[in-house]
Amino acid sequence: MRNEPQPGILTWGVTIVITCLILYLFERVLWLVVPGLLTLVGYYCLQPLVRTLVRTGLKHRTAVKVVTGLLFLVTCLGVILLLSLASARAAGWKAVTAHYVQGGLDFMGKTEARLEQKLPLLKRSALVQSTPTNLDAASEQFVEKYLGGLLVQIIYWLPSLLLVPYLTYFMLQDGNRLKKHVIRSVPNAFFEKTLLLFDRVDRSLRSFLIGMMKLTFLDTTCLGLGLWLLGISHSFLLGLIAAVLAWVPYAGSAVGCALVVMVAATDFPNDLATIYGCLVLFICIRILDDFVFLPLTVGRSLRFHPVLSVSMLFLGAAVAGLAGLLLVLPVLGVVAVITETLRQILTDERLRKRYRHARQLQRTMTGIG
Amino acid sequence: MKSPFNFLRISADDQRIKNLKRLSLFKRLTARELRELDELLHERSYQKDEVIFDEGDTGLGLFIILSGRVKIISSHAALQQLAPEFGVGDYFGELALFEESHRTARAVALEPTQVLALFRTEFVSLLERDRGIGVKLLFDLSRTVVRRSRKLLMNQPHLPTV
Repeated sequence: MRNEPQPGILTWGVTIVITCLILYLFERVLWLVVPGLLTLVGYYCLQPLVRTLVRTGLKHRTAVKVVTGLLFLVTCLGVILLLSLASARAAGWKAVTAHYVQGGLDFMGKTEARLEQKLPLLKRSALVQSTPTNLDAASEQFVEKYLGGLLVQIIYWLPSLLLVPYLTYFMLQDGNRLKKHVIRSVPNAFFEKTLLLFDRVDRSLRSFLIGMMKLTFLDTTCLGLGLWLLGISHSFLLGLIAAVLAWVPYAGSAVGCALVVMVAATDFPNDLATIYGCLVLFICIRILDDFVFLPLTVGRSLRFHPVLSVSMLFLGAAVAGLAGLLLVLPVLGVVAVITETLRQILTDERLRKRYRHARQLQRTMTGIG
Repeated sequence: MKSPFNFLRISADDQRIKNLKRLSLFKRLTARELRELDELLHERSYQKDEVIFDEGDTGLGLFIILSGRVKIISSHAALQQLAPEFGVGDYFGELALFEESHRTARAVALEPTQVLALFRTEFVSLLERDRGIGVKLLFDLSRTVVRRSRKLLMNQPHLPTV
């Protein structure tokens, strides 16, 4: 095998600029990006099922119809359930959130008081003295300003989820045909490398999306089970929220941890052992996640150097807010694969020569040359 | 539900499957297996004298000739001595299905040629999900590799006759 050169600064620069542009566009059409991403997840999850049905003797078209029909039913039920839940309990959620935020703040206050007792030096710290007021203001602001808006946004987005089974149907039915159609338009000289590019993108996306789903399931189950054993309320819902928050590297885990501690501190305000137990449980699951679950599920797909990951998270947040935070690494991964393969194609002198030769032959054939 | 990509659908699907069945590599496969395999095959057309792949390229897949003729040219003496030429139904580049290595020869179309390409990673994924197709294809591919290796060995003057 020929040793291919590593991507240089220019390739990375182009990759980062394209990633930012895509995130900017994604933020504008987020209502379409969310169903689009779920479609990809659905496509990769359901493809093996369609193949199994085909092997049992069903025609491909019928198998796709059966599978997407089931998906449509499940999505409809899910959307109806979530909409009715959201409209019935939206007001209650506000109060519950405020309650838990207050519980977290009380815990912080108590911890502070204990620290001050043991370390008198802290009494003089201006930061410690001002913290409760600042956090109080922040919690009021969060509940009043952001939570309501967030709930309205979720209710607004839910109907667009009905697009998921529709798009998944066409991806399963015609995805391969469309790919072949695109590849057919590529000149012969670049054909094999283009196939390689499609394969790399497909594999990266598949392992990342499927891996993330498996990872979320494992995290939810472990954390939910652990919290349930510790007697925390809504343990599995809390586990799910923390697992989803962990999609945002580094920052997501910290927010998830704060959330778990906040709920534990509200449920058991005077039981420090349970609160610290939750903290230890969360840290143990993060360690398990990094060293066992992550290599087993996502593997090394779409993983970058920590410095690049953190820088891109800041950039993603600056360009597209929360959506940017969540999407920046998968988008960067796919764009990196595409730009690197394109660089290899465009800088391969042998391929370019072959392409020029084929064009020369074409001209000779048509009598232009 | 009518697909918006209907224009992509090859009208003579059944005829295509029949044509695939005629190819020596696929003659053992059933119609259902051929349909599954057909999803992975890429059709390409080459002009006379056009290079299909070059010696030293990273081999990524196998080519099956649907029409036309292909000449193999190599800097390796043994291969050059044989100077193989392939016609309709033959296939070449099969070693690329088994390992990612350099092509040992150049393949050039001797006349306007149509080929089907089977990409290694797609072939491997097919083997993983349908062992029935895998066994049939691997059997034929192995037989061809053995036959070609034997031919190469017998043409080496310094090697004993096998």
